[in-house]
Amino acid sequence: MEPTVSFFSGFTPNDLLFLGEAALRTLWISVLSISIGTVLGVAFGWILFEGKWAAALTIAPVLDIFRSVPLIIQLVLFYNFAPIIGLNFGPFASGVVILTVYTAALVANVARGGIEAVDTPMRRAARSLGMSYWQDLRHVVLPIGGRAVFPAWVGVALGVMKDSALVSVLGYVELLKASQILMTRTQEPFLILSIAGAFYFALSYPISRYAAFLEKRWIQ
Amino acid sequence: MLKRFAVIAALMSVSATTGIADTLDDVVNRGTLRCGVVLDFPPIGYRDANNEPAGFDVEYCNDLAAALEVEAEVLPVTWAERLPVIVTGRADVVFGATSDSLARARTVGFTIPYAIYYAQGVVNADSGITSFDDIRGKRVAAAIGTVPEQEWLKIAAEWGEENLYQGYQSENEVFLAVAQGKADIGITTNTAVLPITQQYDSVLAGPRMPWTTDYTSVVGKRQDVTWLNYLNLFVTHQVRSGRYDALWGKYVGGDAPELRIPGVMY
Amino acid sequence: MFDYNFHWRPVMKSLPDLLEAALLTLQVAVLAMALGIVIGLALALIRLHMRGPLLWLASSWVELARNTPALFQLFFFGFGLGAFGLHLSPYMIVLVGLTFNCAGYLAENFRGGFQAVPDTQLRASRSLGMTAWQAYTRIVIPQVLRIVYHPITNQMVWAVLMSSLGMLVGFRELSGETQFFASRTFRIFEYFAVTAVIYYVIVKLILLGSRLLATRLFRY
Repeated sequence: MEPTVSFFSGFTPNDLLFLGEAALRTLWISVLSISIGTVLGVAFGWILFEGKWAAALTIAPVLDIFRSVPLIIQLVLFYNFAPIIGLNFGPFASGVVILTVYTAALVANVARGGIEAVDTPMRRAARSLGMSYWQDLRHVVLPIGGRAVFPAWVGVALGVMKDSALVSVLGYVELLKASQILMTRTQEPFLILSIAGAFYFALSYPISRYAAFLEKRWIQ
Repeated sequence: MLKRFAVIAALMSVSATTGIADTLDDVVNRGTLRCGVVLDFPPIGYRDANNEPAGFDVEYCNDLAAALEVEAEVLPVTWAERLPVIVTGRADVVFGATSDSLARARTVGFTIPYAIYYAQGVVNADSGITSFDDIRGKRVAAAIGTVPEQEWLKIAAEWGEENLYQGYQSENEVFLAVAQGKADIGITTNTAVLPITQQYDSVLAGPRMPWTTDYTSVVGKRQDVTWLNYLNLFVTHQVRSGRYDALWGKYVGGDAPELRIPGVMY
Repeated sequence: MFDYNFHWRPVMKSLPDLLEAALLTLQVAVLAMALGIVIGLALALIRLHMRGPLLWLASSWVELARNTPALFQLFFFGFGLGAFGLHLSPYMIVLVGLTFNCAGYLAENFRGGFQAVPDTQLRASRSLGMTAWQAYTRIVIPQVLRIVYHPITNQMVWAVLMSSLGMLVGFRELSGETQFFASRTFRIFEYFAVTAVIYYVIVKLILLGSRLLATRLFRY
């Protein structure tokens, strides 16, 4: 006697929608992590610049850990550790937490570089014109330093967007996980991987080109 | 940041088990039953054409939730994850074709068997494997964290062929590897053989593996005996109500195996 | 709330196996970098000096490597190529994937390095009677190497971290081995915590080695 249901089915237009939704989820988790991570990272970068040896002894080594351990290990560790301390974090929440901290760790270095890129004489000049410390940061350091490291920041952001694919190991159905699901159901790996690759490329390529274009224009 | 790590370090040094787990109360109170199910193991767990969870194990989860009068929430897990989700409390119960080995029972609690399988290979049509001995010198694939993997590695160690073993994240990747010819034989369970060989022209049913029958159990927290008692009762009710036979016939086909272990009182 | 007992003993028992797997991680990362540097150099030179199909090929390589997730690339070299009957072993999937990725990123670094060396130097060396080959190997490339030394070090660290994705394609390097042991004992957190420490140490050793090498290479 044969079973009465079938377990595999081919690729349908419906699945394209499934991939599209998953691509939106990739975008959502990336945008969320990159925005919060950038804010945190800039704050850390400022502390690293101003904190001197105190920062070098405290947050610098902690941030360093997140840059020296593979992201996938960080994700697996946090995902399995959260419930132990009573945090009921699902794949999405765990992914956001780790991607945010990871972004912050990378952005901290970029931000410090940006602050360092502004010459001390210029900042002294700003202060002697009567600007407060915060006015100097806002009107002198941010526009000049920000421009200097903007391409590096875009690199970090695009990197995090691509690395968000790793949240798939926790079972969050983003673009890569969705393609895995479809691959196992439809058994057409080449077609599905090509579509997923095209999605990522379409998200990443225009932004990286635009950043390169801006960089060139600012140098001139 | 450092402070947080200090707290974490302090927590880690505490190893006392505080409080008594009572999953049954938690589930009823919460109103949802969180089931860990392996969804790349057709026909026991898979995704249907709408990419929704389906299969024998998924139905069992729904039935249990219905018995408890709560909502079922399916948490898709890989083979390797299915026991850690119980240990860390991420899931209340796992329906995941889990063999009740003594080694695993040190970590999680098992019910009486709810399904019985045996290990069988699916082979690539060009591999020329027809009997167990033909596997010598061939590339063997299985899913990471499964009994077939562990049993096979024992044999591979005897043969000195551990380097020919390939471990995959999921059963479906094993099938894909065999179909594509990346591996000559994939070790799976008898229930999967029929759907797989129907799906791929390049895959044939292979030999049965020499190790013993897989008695698989529902998994819950080891410490929570009342919950395991409830799950035991659930398993017997599924059989008595005829649901077990019906679901087995629907997904696997044929007569459901008798859930009895010969020569021993379970 | 704290309903979890940490078991460290099984991890310590398998520590020798983990360390052995770490050597495999290092091996595949070093090989991928060596190949990546050679190919990256070639890609950079093609993009700077050539036209036609070769340029198109080199540009596609670089853009695809930089604008899709590394994990996607590994899947592609695994099951994607498998659809055409091309079978790479898990080791080769990781080696080829890592090489593809590193070559793409390094090519851009090299291109920047070449553009930083003024053309006049090349013309000056030619007018001193050097052949084009001599001018390149003795004048241009040493300077480029100095410019790209730091990015190469970063890429080496990145290669080690990225090799951890091997665990998702069945390669038993450090992460794969960890996953294998964790799946037998279900002590995911404990195993991956120890592995995180091992990665951290490897990364620090690479950075230290690179610094020592730099003091020897760039004395002048």
